Amino acid sequence: MEMNARQHKFGMVIDLDKCTGCGACMVACMAENNVPFKVDETNKRDSITWMRVYKLTNGKPYPEADACFLPRPCMHCEGHAGHSPCVSVCPATATDYSSETGVVSQIYTRCFGCRYCMAACPYHARYFNWWDPVWPDGMEKYLSPNVSPRMRGVVEKCSFCYHRYQLAREKAIYEERDEVAEEEYQTACTQACPAGAIVFGDLNNPDHQVARIVQPDAHHHFTGHSKIAFRLLEQLGTNPKVYYLTEREWVRKMCDQYNFGPQAAGH
Amino acid sequence: MDSALFPKGVKRCPTWQFALWIGAVGIVLLWGVYAMLLCWLKGLNQTNMNDYYGFALWIWADLAVIALGGGAFFTGFLRYIVGKDELKNIINFAVLIGFICYSSALLILAIDIGQPLRGWFIFWHANVHSMLTEVAFCLSCYFGVLTIEYIPLILENRQIDRVPFFHNLAHNMHEVMAVFAATGAFLSFFHQGSLGGVAGVLFGRPFAFREGIFIWPWTFFLFTWSAAAFGPCFTIFLLKITEKITAKKLVKDSTVWLLAKISGWMMLTYIIAKTIDTLYWLTVTAPAAGYGAGFFYDNWFYNFGWLFVEIVVGGFIPALILVSEKGRRSPGLLFLAVLLGVIGVSVNRWVMVLQVMAVPVMPFDTWALYYPSWQEVATTILPVAYGVILVSLSYRYLPVFPNEMELNAAPAQAEAVVDEELPVQAAVARA
Amino acid sequence: MKLDRRSFLSFVIGGAAGTALTPLPWKLTDDLSIWTQMWPWTPVPPDGAYSYVSTTCTLCPGGCGIQVRLVDKRAVKIEGTPGHPVNDGGICPLGLSGLQLLYGPSRVDGPLKRTAGRGAGRWTPISWDDAIGEVAQKLAALRGDGRPQAVAAISGSGRGTFSALVERFMTVYGSPNLMRPASAADACEMALYRMHGQQAMAGYDLENADFVLSFGSGIIDGWGSPVRMIRARSLWKERKVPLVQVEPCLSNTAAAADRWLAVAPGTEAALALGLAHVILSEGLYDYNFTAFYSAGFEPWRQMVLDGFAPDQVAQITGIQKDVIVDLARQFAKARAGVALWGRGRGTTPGSIDEAMAVHSLNALVGAVNRQGGVWALPEIDYIQWPEAEMDATAANGLQTARLDGAGLEPHADARSLAHRFFTAVAEGKTDPVEALLVFEANPLYTQPDTATVKKALDKIPFIVSFSSLQDETSAYADLILPNHLYLERFEDVAGPAGLNQALIGLTQPVVAPQRRTRHAGDVILALSQGLGTPVADAFPWESFEACLEETLGDDWDALVANGYVARPVSLPHWSSAFGTASGKFEFAGTYRPAPLEGDKGAFPLVLVPYDSMRIAGGTAANTPFMTKTVGDEILKGNDMFVQVNPQTADSLGLREGLYAELSTPRGKARVRIHLTQEVRPGLVAMPRGLGHTAFDPYLAHKGVNVNALLGPVDDPASGLDAAWGIQAKLAKA
Repeated sequence: MEMNARQHKFGMVIDLDKCTGCGACMVACMAENNVPFKVDETNKRDSITWMRVYKLTNGKPYPEADACFLPRPCMHCEGHAGHSPCVSVCPATATDYSSETGVVSQIYTRCFGCRYCMAACPYHARYFNWWDPVWPDGMEKYLSPNVSPRMRGVVEKCSFCYHRYQLAREKAIYEERDEVAEEEYQTACTQACPAGAIVFGDLNNPDHQVARIVQPDAHHHFTGHSKIAFRLLEQLGTNPKVYYLTEREWVRKMCDQYNFGPQAAGH
Repeated sequence: MDSALFPKGVKRCPTWQFALWIGAVGIVLLWGVYAMLLCWLKGLNQTNMNDYYGFALWIWADLAVIALGGGAFFTGFLRYIVGKDELKNIINFAVLIGFICYSSALLILAIDIGQPLRGWFIFWHANVHSMLTEVAFCLSCYFGVLTIEYIPLILENRQIDRVPFFHNLAHNMHEVMAVFAATGAFLSFFHQGSLGGVAGVLFGRPFAFREGIFIWPWTFFLFTWSAAAFGPCFTIFLLKITEKITAKKLVKDSTVWLLAKISGWMMLTYIIAKTIDTLYWLTVTAPAAGYGAGFFYDNWFYNFGWLFVEIVVGGFIPALILVSEKGRRSPGLLFLAVLLGVIGVSVNRWVMVLQVMAVPVMPFDTWALYYPSWQEVATTILPVAYGVILVSLSYRYLPVFPNEMELNAAPAQAEAVVDEELPVQAAVARA
Repeated sequence: MKLDRRSFLSFVIGGAAGTALTPLPWKLTDDLSIWTQMWPWTPVPPDGAYSYVSTTCTLCPGGCGIQVRLVDKRAVKIEGTPGHPVNDGGICPLGLSGLQLLYGPSRVDGPLKRTAGRGAGRWTPISWDDAIGEVAQKLAALRGDGRPQAVAAISGSGRGTFSALVERFMTVYGSPNLMRPASAADACEMALYRMHGQQAMAGYDLENADFVLSFGSGIIDGWGSPVRMIRARSLWKERKVPLVQVEPCLSNTAAAADRWLAVAPGTEAALALGLAHVILSEGLYDYNFTAFYSAGFEPWRQMVLDGFAPDQVAQITGIQKDVIVDLARQFAKARAGVALWGRGRGTTPGSIDEAMAVHSLNALVGAVNRQGGVWALPEIDYIQWPEAEMDATAANGLQTARLDGAGLEPHADARSLAHRFFTAVAEGKTDPVEALLVFEANPLYTQPDTATVKKALDKIPFIVSFSSLQDETSAYADLILPNHLYLERFEDVAGPAGLNQALIGLTQPVVAPQRRTRHAGDVILALSQGLGTPVADAFPWESFEACLEETLGDDWDALVANGYVARPVSLPHWSSAFGTASGKFEFAGTYRPAPLEGDKGAFPLVLVPYDSMRIAGGTAANTPFMTKTVGDEILKGNDMFVQVNPQTADSLGLREGLYAELSTPRGKARVRIHLTQEVRPGLVAMPRGLGHTAFDPYLAHKGVNVNALLGPVDDPASGLDAAWGIQAKLAKA
């Protein structure tokens, strides 16, 4: 079916065994998306980081200690049939789940700042502009025209660099092509990651690397095919489109929340 | 000086004393207004809210006052729809408290949102799937209803009533009040429920999430039920305080006992339902999402004590007092019961807002505790001060209590406002 | 007027409906809401024509290719260059946030002259002519005095044309006192010089290695060319190439390694020799290499067999004997095993014995000059300038002893010993230094024991900084002649650190200079003109760009177009591979436990610095974006946490988050405690790169500069700074 071919489901797979925790993805994201910064950003609960790298530790004593880094963009949850946790709660339709791309969008000029979506998001992927964005004199020169800076009092979050998709699509249309090629639309974090730990693409397109790695199982809530794949808080039913890979069992057990409950043994 | 404005045949304190009282509360009000302006002009960075606490003290205060203001719709429902005529003696006061609670709630919401002028977008770009949309619509409409219910009372002021137009207007409004009471009950059912739904639908937050029926989680019904149960408690609670301060009996005991009895049975049934809900959630819903019961209370601050206070201390105990005839007829026990009830429902709303934010969801995250900034505290006290002023003004100039004259027939009964009692009232009314 | 119910209802409903039906209230409300979307104080970036410029990042010695996205003439984003041999599109946090330096508040606006006490931060802007005139006058006077050696320079720009220009300038001017900031590269060079007999850098063929043994090297924490290292490590993951990390604490590299050996700190060399012992005694070494291409094998072998049996080494290092034996076998049996050294990012040189011990381990398994091993790469020799004419003043000046003692007995093979320069000057043991020129270096922050550096600077009456940014050293200078930032200037980057390729990268202007700056190369040309013959004659170029273009010759056009040229490297034939007296590889390196500075009684703990990719620890300092990524277990407000094992903390009565005073023989600091099982009991770990006092409010005064607490320790075998930590004490504050 012609229409079905156009139903994209952009997603990501992050190899935690490759991730080094260097933070390039975080900075790439800030630079790409005109994310503001303050003099003091050490209160991490008031620090806008669309992409945030968490450090996980296995809790064992020295020298058995182990650590793992986990980059957390917006998961662009599909929920059940597009009912992502945040989209369904927004009273002003300022955030939306696109069935065409699978991207959870945020309309900054529509958002009136009730922060209900933040309460709904278990991943803390949403950030509120508590402050007016202020760039030191002259630094606003580096701001990209492709992403509008957000005003005080609205919520913002990772958009999977949607503006890049729009630019790529415009180019494709101009060149009279039907589709945006895999390499034409990549997020800033994917592009920057020195470890090549992030793979981004269309989960619906079997030719895309991300789909080949993940092989989401449509009959089982889109869980990944691989034994080393998991999704963060899988059991909540948020149906995220960001998958993780790791050989380390303690990381998988910790993250998909199968450490408790009926399925604990089976996973 | 202003005695010409007093309702017919009642005694009120001297003007200077009243002015002093209003002045004192007014200072608190101005403090709150200052904080409110800071929040509007400088932004919400004035608060201690953060990205983990998008919902904080204000939202709790909002939910709490709406629950406590539930006395208006439920008393109206009992009076006009069920036909408990006895309750006409307290309905004005219930409406007044409701009006204060709901106007406060709207004010708090207007401060709470980051772009207050864009609040319009809820209506213009409404998302029908959102519980908050339902809340916003029903809340605004119900506030309109409460205004309509409150206006006739204003029009009954001795001087205003002299104007034939206003007299007729008030009369006509009274005539159609049953329609509005019904509308109010209907709207309240939905927005109280939707407020419960606000937390209950958060399937990403296993502490809040509840299964339910159709689109409504169980918290939807529990919130409506608890507002109906505890709202009248709050009306009685404030009545008792007002009586204490004015040193007058304002409502007949039989009226109060009737309301207390109904409230008590509502509370008892509610708290049983709430207990079932809690047990089901702890043993079925949460484990299915990967969380054990102990997980949610594994914190020095948020421990099982909260559950005990909410369900036993603020639920079963007041409910049992009120359903027993002996209990509700004892002034001391009655007051204790309504006080515990007010605490119980406030704890419920606290937990459903703030503990939801505090519990870590991602396994590598930690408990997030927060304390409000002074600006938040001030803006939360602002509606209390505003409420005290509105009650004082209404009591002084409007015939809020139809039985006041007959209940205080003895001329020796001198009313007094004792200075020491001022802070007491402010403190208690805050709850 | 009589109002019945009907008319009342009609009145109310009609009125409400009437108003609601007019568009007025709705339109006004909507307009009000829309107005809030266009607040004038929220910037709206102007759109324009998009383009990219390819250039090379010089913020670290990594030499990554970058492409800068432009919107009209504004640079809006830095990205890694796809297909670049170093980074293939990848990029690090520092490289990504370079635009925050370009347009940031810590730029020096133009030439500045100090108007109050040093470090007081009071400056007056002066013209470029006056600034250059003032420096030229000072230099001319000293030269006229016959004391050109009283001018010292420190240049951190690494290898390349600009560096050569500075060197040439100092030579024809007549001063031997040109230094570079110390780093592991110093020890690397020296080790190769001693063992290969060549002035060369180590190039690691990591992409072809099949077993990697790292002695504390921060493979993914900034060692070598950071992005290339991270890429290599991902490649190992894909190919299941084991990475073994030998390190006292769980660094990110240790956590990423397939195996972490929590070695007792400072005993890495012993472990290397213990492994050699197993390899030697079990006959697992490369017979061909040791027999035909090496010298000094027998005595070295005997030394290892005598002193480093696995059970002895287990005692020293705390690594179990069977672990040592097992690891040695795996390493030796690997087809292409390679061992790396240089702690963390390689900020300090470290012990030369250790470097040589690890390099000997490489030689033992035949990893020297082999695919998947370590290669000695001679410097790329494209800088071919005619010999400069020198006058007697210059010749005499150059005859004088270097103030840092490099090149003189007992450190004849040292090329630069910056730490000794500052110590010597501070102690007043040298002839007075009359002027110091600082190029792309920030010794007042990056040198261990900053108090001594400051004391040294206090004794130098004329300090000129060429820094583009307001760093600590320029804040303490007398004149600042700000260079263009790397995105505004031409420069060449030769042979990125640790890369086994002959690669030249070109840094070229991406935007016009944003401030009143001038290329330091042009300033040197102008200074030489100011000094007249014969200095001026050595610099025939009209501009640095012209000099660079001439120097790079035929490669220039390719460089401008692509940002780099790669020349093929062929491994040298064995007959010409070694320049030693024997013509062969010389086995060397041992373990001599070097005591740390400080009394163990008074300072029972050991402070060790660590490196993180999120904190720039060298001359380049953190950008606001980078500091934003630093975790709150490291920095909270302006307070910095030291990382301590709970066991250590318990014994001192310290708990998570408490304030404590950290003291060492060199200084003290107020810190907070963070408990972690990642740090070895007895150690106090502290990140390098915080505690700046200069730059901008986004960085200044956040945390503590670990260099203020550390001190250099002379390696008796090399003269280089061998300190990897310092004795320390923690007490409740």
